[in-house]
Amino acid sequence: MEESIKAAGSDDRGFLGGERGLRSWIFSTDHKRIALLYLWSIMSFFLVGMTLGFLIRLELIAPGATIMGAQTYNALFTLHGVIMIFLFIIPVVPAVLGNFLLPLHIGAEDVAFPRLNLLSWWFYLIGALMALASLFTGGGPPDTGWTFYVPFSTQTTTNVTVAAWAVFVLGFSSILTGLNFLTTIHRLRATGVTWNRLPLFVWAIYATAWIQLLATPILGLTVALIAIERIFQIGLFDPARGGDPLMYQHLFWIYSHPAVYIMILPGMGIISEIIPTFSRRRIFGYWAIAVSSLAIAFAGSMVWSHHMLASGMSDMGVFVFSLLTFLVAIPSAVKVFNWLATLYKGTIWLAPPMLYALTFLVLFSIGGLTGLVVGSAGTAIHTHDTHFVVGHFHYVMFGGAIFAFFGGLHYWLPKIYGRMYNLRLATWAWGILTVGFNLLYFPMFILGMQGMPRRYYDYLPQYTTLNVVSTVGSWILIAGLLLMLWNLWRGSRSGPPAGMNPWGGRTLEWTIASPPPKENFPGEIVVSTDPYDYHTGEGHS
Amino acid sequence: MNPPLLTTAETIDPVFWYILGVCIFFLLLITVVMLYFVWKYHRSRHPYTTSQVSKNVPLEIVWTLVPTLLALSMFWYGWAGYLTLQRVPEGAMVVDVTGRMWSWLFEYGNGKTSDRLYVPAGQPVQVNIHSADVIHSFYIPAFRVKKDAVPGMTTYVWFVADRPGSYDIFCAEYCGTAHSAMITTVEALPPEEFLAWYEGEGPAEADGELKALLTRHGCLGCHSLDGSPGVGPTLQGIFGRQVTVLVDGQERTLTADRDYLRRSILEPQVEMVKGYPPVMPSYRDRIPEAELEEMLDLFERPASAAAPSGEKLAQDKGCIGCHSTDGSRQVGPTFQGVFGRQVTVERNGQPVTIEADEDYLRRAIVEPQAEIVQGYPPSMPPYSELSDEELAALIDYLRGL
Repeated sequence: MEESIKAAGSDDRGFLGGERGLRSWIFSTDHKRIALLYLWSIMSFFLVGMTLGFLIRLELIAPGATIMGAQTYNALFTLHGVIMIFLFIIPVVPAVLGNFLLPLHIGAEDVAFPRLNLLSWWFYLIGALMALASLFTGGGPPDTGWTFYVPFSTQTTTNVTVAAWAVFVLGFSSILTGLNFLTTIHRLRATGVTWNRLPLFVWAIYATAWIQLLATPILGLTVALIAIERIFQIGLFDPARGGDPLMYQHLFWIYSHPAVYIMILPGMGIISEIIPTFSRRRIFGYWAIAVSSLAIAFAGSMVWSHHMLASGMSDMGVFVFSLLTFLVAIPSAVKVFNWLATLYKGTIWLAPPMLYALTFLVLFSIGGLTGLVVGSAGTAIHTHDTHFVVGHFHYVMFGGAIFAFFGGLHYWLPKIYGRMYNLRLATWAWGILTVGFNLLYFPMFILGMQGMPRRYYDYLPQYTTLNVVSTVGSWILIAGLLLMLWNLWRGSRSGPPAGMNPWGGRTLEWTIASPPPKENFPGEIVVSTDPYDYHTGEGHS
Repeated sequence: MNPPLLTTAETIDPVFWYILGVCIFFLLLITVVMLYFVWKYHRSRHPYTTSQVSKNVPLEIVWTLVPTLLALSMFWYGWAGYLTLQRVPEGAMVVDVTGRMWSWLFEYGNGKTSDRLYVPAGQPVQVNIHSADVIHSFYIPAFRVKKDAVPGMTTYVWFVADRPGSYDIFCAEYCGTAHSAMITTVEALPPEEFLAWYEGEGPAEADGELKALLTRHGCLGCHSLDGSPGVGPTLQGIFGRQVTVLVDGQERTLTADRDYLRRSILEPQVEMVKGYPPVMPSYRDRIPEAELEEMLDLFERPASAAAPSGEKLAQDKGCIGCHSTDGSRQVGPTFQGVFGRQVTVERNGQPVTIEADEDYLRRAIVEPQAEIVQGYPPSMPPYSELSDEELAALIDYLRGL
């Protein structure tokens, strides 16, 4: 980070220039610098989470003990989940791209509460460090899985209490970011940026922010209850003391299912930006896409118990939650059809961001459609808690949210750093990543149908072949990931100048210098065009 | 005549095929349309946009309504399948299962218990599911049934095994260290064979009181009886064994006597055996005092006529008067690590290096003077009075040191 600033060494580096040194970053209230603080801290945790995933897959290459003991394995998959979900996917798009782009997209100078924004990053950092501390203190790393199910989590001797407080603190980062973005979108739109001229990325961030604000407090309370239960033994969830273990699951999923939409909605917003730019097309069904984001946020808040279809919950509960689950699939389908229609009679440029966006369409469809299998009551019973579910959510979260984020990085990093990465290498990395991804996760659907449960350290010999394929896939995936990250890093440091608008985008960030100046726009601006202002007969220059 | 009973798998599999069929159709539709557009409108073939149409209300309505109807049909079909799983047919045999870290215990109507689920083929079985500690999940993939075992709640599944065979049972809800080892099987027997097992001593039931007792309390999920390693230390020859435990992080060596064994069952976290994860739950309130006493009695007296304990023999016959078990040198070579060790012996006055295998150890006990280990006095008497079982037990004991 610092080095790239030194390399530039002058004030034409926009917000990257000017004040230097660690303090000018970690105490900066500039939304763009905060976005980069998030980028670097979140990506560091991503590399840790990826390494853990690699080790988990390596252990599973053969039945029995391969490279570690059962207790270590259990701690590793717990940490992989906690890091990837709480430290990576939940914050990554809103906190990095949202922070960077939201004020630019609406013609504002900054978010509504810049200091609160900085505080949110500090909450993130403190929460993340607490999560790390739980590894090395107390009774050893938590081994409960990222879901912290009681009564196991209140009985295990490992360090669950610290990890639970870490999640509690991280929650504040998310809540405050949501609050900040909502206020920003309502109050700071430049003249002319009406609700029907908001880029769809902003609509997606808007829907996400409502979930962050309304659902995260419930998670905070729930993990706090776990910590209290462990410390004071008050018996909220312990049937021997009159408590109810299923109550915990309800409380946990009331947040953690909507959290899935915190992860995927901003990704969908990215796709809605990339596809018009690389097809030179107005987005098809602007209102359908905007409203479906809100519909997903709303309906997605009422489907939490589909994680509990095999829990012994009442049949009425199963009926209601299975039905609502099918309904939440519809707005997602509507989005996919509108994106496809946007390609119609456009002129398609398969640059790296577009490759990621198109791959998103397929991988997210696989993830979403397999969601129907686990959402239907009869079939959920068989697939619940098997590798089918592991495959399903990695397709949605990784193939969906993270592929969208990677597309977004390829799309906006040249804006953020003002430099272009190597397009050829980026295309290679995309290809390797996509092949590795499918090799890694597709076999899990078959393993799950064959009955292999998830969170298994050891498995019966009939599951060996597909586990080997999956593990080999993880190596290819990681090779692609490292190539991609290295190419982006090198490009951001020393690539050729990207120019103001390398892709021909129409949203406001492309009308200013790359990297953007500290104050974003020269004073107050007036906007008179919509964000997808393309015309018939247009091509790529 | 009733119509033939559909099995749970026969009920659920068509739901799978329907939903997977719809999924594959939509996936192909989306992928093919996308690839076609990318090919047809690629900038090399189509360098300029020829339309900016961005709105089509009828189209939006169609692609909202069609998925809605399909989604509702999939929901309904899935719900109908689920109801079949929930409705136990009349005449089902009832078995209770209790999940505990990390084993299943089945209990039948007549009080018989087992660690596998024996059922008569062709008859529906209702399994009532309980948990003794944390949440587990009772899962039989072959029958497409699964239900969580929740402490304080009784849940159930039903199934019918339409032909004799063995089917895997997994724990599907993560429950700690040995979660993936919490596996057993459904053994579907022909009805007459099942009846014979149910009313008498059937196949593969616990041999011996101790094993039955340990099985009942789920000990054998982690502790072996044959010396093989597990999540916890083996229970073979546990009584009187020297164990190194950690008390508040301090190592301490003690003898596994009655008191220690009682403490290690009721308060396992206080003195954890070194080298094992601190994962054993306390059995206070879970094992009745009488049964605990019985278990300790059985630990103390393993040397019944049928199965002599090698360790007890080594004490009774005075072996450990001259041979240490901790590696220290006494009158004779130490027993520690003796099995499989390279030893140099004097055979007819000539030094010969051989491996201390079963045969050698047998010879060394029965006629020790023939091959004396180099550097030790030829003072050991022959122990030719030992029976073959006793010799085998002794050698087994040496193997574990």
